[in-house]
Amino acid sequence: MFEVLDHTADIGFRAWGATRAELFANAALALESIAVDMSGARDLEPYPIAASGDDEESLLVNWLNEVLYYLDGRRVVMSRFEIEEPGPFQVSGKAWGEPRDPDRHPGKLVVKGVTYHQLRIGKDARGWYAEVYLDI
Amino acid sequence: MSEKIPIEPIDELRFRIPRDERRGMRTDVIVYASREILDQIRKDLSLEQAINVATLPGIVGPSLAMPDIHQGYGFPIGGVAATDWEHGVVSPGGVGFDINCGVRLVRTNLTRSEVEPRLRDLVNQTFRDIPCGTGGAGHLQITEKQLDEILVKGARWMVENGYGEPADAEFAEEGGRLEGADPDKVSHRAKERGRPQLGTIGSGNHFLEIQYVEQIHDEAAARAMGLELGQVVVLIHCGSRGLGHQVCTDYLAQMGAAMKKYNITLPDRQLACVPIQSPEGQAYLAAMRASANFAWANRQAILHFLRGSFEKVFGKSARLSLIYDVCHNIAKRERHAVNGDKRDVLVHRKGATRAFPPGHREIPAAYRHIGQPVLIPGSMGTASWILVGAEGAMKETFGSVCHGAGRLMSRTAAKKGRDARQVLKSLEEAGIVAKSETRDGILEEIPEAYKNVDEVIEVVHRAGLARKVARLRPIGVIKG
Repeated sequence: MFEVLDHTADIGFRAWGATRAELFANAALALESIAVDMSGARDLEPYPIAASGDDEESLLVNWLNEVLYYLDGRRVVMSRFEIEEPGPFQVSGKAWGEPRDPDRHPGKLVVKGVTYHQLRIGKDARGWYAEVYLDI
Repeated sequence: MSEKIPIEPIDELRFRIPRDERRGMRTDVIVYASREILDQIRKDLSLEQAINVATLPGIVGPSLAMPDIHQGYGFPIGGVAATDWEHGVVSPGGVGFDINCGVRLVRTNLTRSEVEPRLRDLVNQTFRDIPCGTGGAGHLQITEKQLDEILVKGARWMVENGYGEPADAEFAEEGGRLEGADPDKVSHRAKERGRPQLGTIGSGNHFLEIQYVEQIHDEAAARAMGLELGQVVVLIHCGSRGLGHQVCTDYLAQMGAAMKKYNITLPDRQLACVPIQSPEGQAYLAAMRASANFAWANRQAILHFLRGSFEKVFGKSARLSLIYDVCHNIAKRERHAVNGDKRDVLVHRKGATRAFPPGHREIPAAYRHIGQPVLIPGSMGTASWILVGAEGAMKETFGSVCHGAGRLMSRTAAKKGRDARQVLKSLEEAGIVAKSETRDGILEEIPEAYKNVDEVIEVVHRAGLARKVARLRPIGVIKG
């Protein structure tokens, strides 16, 4: 679950999860959905995915950097994530997706990078949440 | 928001936030703006960010804010900061994810009345020949070895390999190639992301516009650039695509540990920086220069394909010549007078354009008597400007001015209650044919989302940082 956040020049999202694993999965899906139209995306093939960081914030940023690298470098659209509960400094799991096809996954915005701008990760009554801004 | 920050007027166009305003500031913030523009600037976080920039170790002179400033991440967009070459820092955030995002202006030998009857064909043809690349790759196939050569030679590689004319490499900032680039400092991932994207425009505010010269404010300068009223020109606004984005990502990820090593603490993590003379600083600069060269090669490839588009529509007599090419996201070593002494500094231009005055040796001979051409893209469907650098920029802003109109409205706000077809129709009523790879591309870049570019230009012109040469009006727009 996620929603898009406003920024004068760029775009952000707020993602939630009952667990940290779910939060990381939803944050990844938020990034994918901002970049491409996911309505035709299929979870055909598994892709291993992992990231590490020095703290909670860099772990999330580095994780999203992996997702972005798959999307823009390996040209893979990932629509389902099976993540083990992340440790404090690392996260790993499997993502399901398919090679990027402009007809099946029309591009929406080219995401240039994941920023630390007003980055927030925390826990409230609904569970874990994170706010992340992307450079567009 | 920045409304509460005390700011004192210096004169009508200059405002100061003194260095004692906030703990940690090493210098003043100077804002170039009119009263109206300042009121707009204060509505977002850009002045907070300009204050944060003033805390950078080794900053020389003030933290500068141009009239098109708006909120970025770490650095404000429309910000300039110079750091001491020996003792200062380099900040990848002071360059941004889109290294050497820039603008290239091309003149044609066609007039508005010759182009307009075939405008739709021209827009469609250009759209086919130059993909935006939001979904797919570009039309240029290059090997890994060729990519490494491009990272060193920039636009020159393109010209040497048949994608351009010799003059194309001459009429660009740095001749379309920065010295000191090292492809080995660019990760495999960055190369993998960028290689298929060569020759594509990208999305966001990037575009290619077919425009005509609507007003001339400086006859001599316009003549030197080969421009007359009604002449058709093409403005290309794009950068280093996924290659530069990944380079920024890679080095930002390494900076956290390096900052601990060098005992640097900052108010915003996105400002991450390291000493210029450290191995990490030198590695970043070598990778940044390689990315800048990739961007110049990219804009050169686009010019090459554009020549093909014009030839297909107007025949072999259509001639396209490069007027100039500027970068507005870059950090460069330059020599500037600081308090009477000449010093080597690293000028970070984050959404700011170099604007060297007449006589500067870095300007191509054909323009040296008028000053460096400064290309300012406006918002989609409004106007763009050609200026030339003036003496004031050298005295006050490390030879820099603004880079665009500056956004006012978020992307979501721009889309609210608007329909892409309506926007296209109103553009058409204004005589503009627009084509976008994505539906939202048109909506998010509506003119209302930006400050008035004319007001921004008026500030830098009246402040003596640059002089107005010509105003350009779009008739064709291609967007991601």
